[in-house]
Amino acid sequence: MHSDTVKLKIFRKDHGEKSPGRHDEFEVPVTEGMSVLDAVNYVVENIDSTISVRWNCKAAHCGSCAAEINNYPRLMCKTRIDDIGAEITVNPMGAFPHVKDLVTDLSGNFEIDRNIPEFKPKKGIELPWNIKEQDVTRAQEFRKCIECFLCMDVCHVIRNHSSKYIGPRHIIKAAALDMHPLDTVDRSVSLMNDKGLSLCNVTKCCQEVCPEHIKITDNAIIPEKERAIDKMYDPALMLFDKLKAIGKSGSR
Amino acid sequence: MNKAIKKYIPAEFLEFNPRLYAFILIIAIAVIAFFIFPVKELNGYIDPFYSPTILVLPFVGLYRLTCYAYRKDYNKHIFKHPLACPVVESMDSKKREYSGETSAIFKIENMHRYFLYAAIIILPFFFYDVYTSLFYTGAFVLRLGSIILAINAVLLTLYVFSCHSLRSLIGGRTDCFSCLNGGTLRKKIYNKQSWLNAHHEELAWISLIFIIFVDLYLRGLAAGMPIDFTFMVIH
Ligand code: SF4
Ligand code: SF4
Repeated sequence: MHSDTVKLKIFRKDHGEKSPGRHDEFEVPVTEGMSVLDAVNYVVENIDSTISVRWNCKAAHCGSCAAEINNYPRLMCKTRIDDIGAEITVNPMGAFPHVKDLVTDLSGNFEIDRNIPEFKPKKGIELPWNIKEQDVTRAQEFRKCIECFLCMDVCHVIRNHSSKYIGPRHIIKAAALDMHPLDTVDRSVSLMNDKGLSLCNVTKCCQEVCPEHIKITDNAIIPEKERAIDKMYDPALMLFDKLKAIGKSGSR
Repeated sequence: MNKAIKKYIPAEFLEFNPRLYAFILIIAIAVIAFFIFPVKELNGYIDPFYSPTILVLPFVGLYRLTCYAYRKDYNKHIFKHPLACPVVESMDSKKREYSGETSAIFKIENMHRYFLYAAIIILPFFFYDVYTSLFYTGAFVLRLGSIILAINAVLLTLYVFSCHSLRSLIGGRTDCFSCLNGGTLRKKIYNKQSWLNAHHEELAWISLIFIIFVDLYLRGLAAGMPIDFTFMVIH
C-alpha cells in the first residue's frame, strides 16, 4: 500500500436508535503491520472516544473483535490494513441484535449452548478415565473454537431465513460431544428434527470465515447429517446396528 | 393450495431463475444427444456414458446431484443461497423463501449413500472397458484411447472413494475406534480417506470434465478425426 493514511468508515448507531445507522469517516495514519483493530482504536483514542467497540486480547484468541470488514466477516485484530486497501468499512455483525456502534448482543448463543444435551459418560468406567489419542483427535479440532461467532454471522440461514437453525458454532459443540468416545447421548437426530440442521445446505461459508480454520462443514455438519441419516433414512444400517446391539447384549 | 404446492415444489424452483432454466436446458440437450447420436462402442473403446448400459445413467446422475460437493456448487451458483459469502454479494435476502433440505424434493439428498452404493457397483465396468480396449483384437494393443479410458477410470474411482457418505461409513459414525476389533487399522483407513475427502470437490469437477472429454474424444474418433495413436502391439 502506498498511501500513508487509510480512510476508515465506522458504523455508528446508538442503542435502541430507530434509524438504520450511519457511517462516520476517519483518516487514520498507517503504521507498519497495523490491523483494523489498531486503526479503530486509534480513532477511539485520538479522534472520537464515543465509539463502542469490543476487543480483548488483540491476538486472535478471545474472539471478541469479530466484525464485518468490507462486508466480509473477520476478526479486526487479525485483518491487516495492507491486505485490504485504502478504504475500509467496518460494520457490526449483522446476524445478531445490535447494541451500539460495533457491538452486538451475543447472549442468544449462550442460550442455544445451554440447550444442547450435555455430556453423559458411560456408566461404571474406572477413574481416571483412560482415553486413547486416536479417539479424541476429531473432537479436539472443535475445541479450537474461540467463540467469535463469525461462522454464525456469515450463515445465510441465520441471517435471512430461520431462527430455528442453531447454527454452525453450536453444531460443532454438539459434534464434539457426540464424537467423544465416552459419551452416551446421540444428538444427531434432534439436531436434524428440532435444531434445523437440515436447513443447512452445505455451502461452507462458515468454514470459509472461521479464523481457527476449523473445517466446520466437512468435519462437523456433514458427519452429523450422516449420523442422523443412519437413524432416519437408512433401514439397512438401522437393522445392522440393531443386530449388533442384540449380539452385544447376548454375549454379555 | 399454495401451501400444498410448496410442500412438494420448494420455493427454490418457483422463483424466476434463468440460471436454473439454463442448467435444465443443458441437461435436456445432453440427454437427447445421448439417445439420438449414440457412440456406444468404437474400435474396442466403450464410451463411459454407455457403460455398462446407459440405463445406469440416472443413478450416476443422482449420485452427482446429491453429492455434497455439487450441492455446495448448485446451492451457490444456481439457487444463489447464497451466491457468495461476503454479505453484500450473497444475493440472498430475508425476502426470498428458503426451505433448505427440508422439502420433499431436497430430502433426496439424504439418499446419497444409496447412489454411492450404485456407483461402487458400476466402477469395475470402467476398468473392464480399459481391459477390453487393450485386448479387443486378441493381441495386446496400447493406444492413446486406452490410456484416456484408464485415467478416466482412476479419476472416477478417486471421486467415488472420496465421498463424504463413505467417510461416515468408514469411521465418521464411530466414536471409539479403540473399542472395536481392528479399530486402529480402521482409524488409519479413516484418516487416509479423510485426506482424500478433503479433495472431494476438486475430484468431483476433474472427473466430470474428464468423462465429458472422453465422450467427446470418442465422438471425434467416430467422426474420423486422426486423434488415436498406437504405442505398442504385443502378439
Ligand atoms: S455450510 Fe451450513 S451452517 Fe455453514 S454457512 Fe452454509 S448453511 Fe450455514
Ligand atoms: S467455529 Fe470458528 S468461526 Fe465459529 S465461533 Fe468458533 S472460531 Fe469462530
